[in-house]
Amino acid sequence: MKLYVYCLAEGVDSLPLFPRGVSGARVRLVKLEGLSLVVSACTGDVFHQFRKNGLAHNAVVRTVFKQTTPLPCRYGMIVTDKQLRNYISTHKQALRDNLAHVRGGAEMTLRISGPRLNDPAALPGGQRKPVGPGTKFLLDKRKEIRGEEWLSAQKAELSAWLDEKLPGLIRDEKINLAPQERALLARVDHLVDRSSVEQYREKMGAAIQERPEVRFMVSGPWPPYSFANIELEFSRQFGVS
Amino acid sequence: MSDFDQILVGEEWENTDLSLLETLDHVLNRGLVIAGEITISVADVDLIFVGLNVMVSSVETANEVLRRREATE
Repeated sequence: MKLYVYCLAEGVDSLPLFPRGVSGARVRLVKLEGLSLVVSACTGDVFHQFRKNGLAHNAVVRTVFKQTTPLPCRYGMIVTDKQLRNYISTHKQALRDNLAHVRGGAEMTLRISGPRLNDPAALPGGQRKPVGPGTKFLLDKRKEIRGEEWLSAQKAELSAWLDEKLPGLIRDEKINLAPQERALLARVDHLVDRSSVEQYREKMGAAIQERPEVRFMVSGPWPPYSFANIELEFSRQFGVS
Repeated sequence: MSDFDQILVGEEWENTDLSLLETLDHVLNRGLVIAGEITISVADVDLIFVGLNVMVSSVETANEVLRRREATE
């Protein structure tokens, strides 16, 4: 039998009244290596009603999140009992470390959109005379490096501004700039203490007023989806992050 | 009541769409990845890559799925 996995948590010994899981399945608790895993039987049509099941996944994770801060799984984690046991057995320390990292925390998500300023496309080299393939390669490489430098500088600037506006509130941060998107400039995920969520909202609300040239949307508190993965190991295994 | 509170500035966003978008973005693109097998097909079209025990998806994919489903429902 295959299992659909919603999240991992510590110190969850019994389940509250859960909503139905994906495909309407009954949600149950599995204890492995001292960790609590929230799972349901996978009926095989998990992805048939995509929106309904995606929301059901989130609803189950949020139910655990009311009790404690779990490591939420990505939608679609279907495993056999053996796969799950192997995974927990081989990753238990990394999972425990990650649970300790998010303990007592919540995720706040910030989306920034608006007109793009200082676009790297405007960098020198955009319009030039025809050149040979070697020169073209070097010019393109220079443009690529400058683009990366520009993104890096933008990221550092945004991070510094947020740090100044949210002093002491950010436990961890992930910034994703969106250079290819037309409207979305950046998405920022912050791990904050649950007790700091209201303060985060207030301070972010005040900070937003200082930047009328762009639009902000703050959502949360979320279970820490953006801080759940074991990223180093993941990127080492698959070459992606 | 939506799953989250929000602060909106500037252009008006539609709350329900935003709530859905944000939820799907979190659920689909983030979270712990455990070895597994998945297949997502909508209207007999494989939309999401299956392999390497990783699900690769995006909000755009999710939106496309929703648009297609709504068109056929």
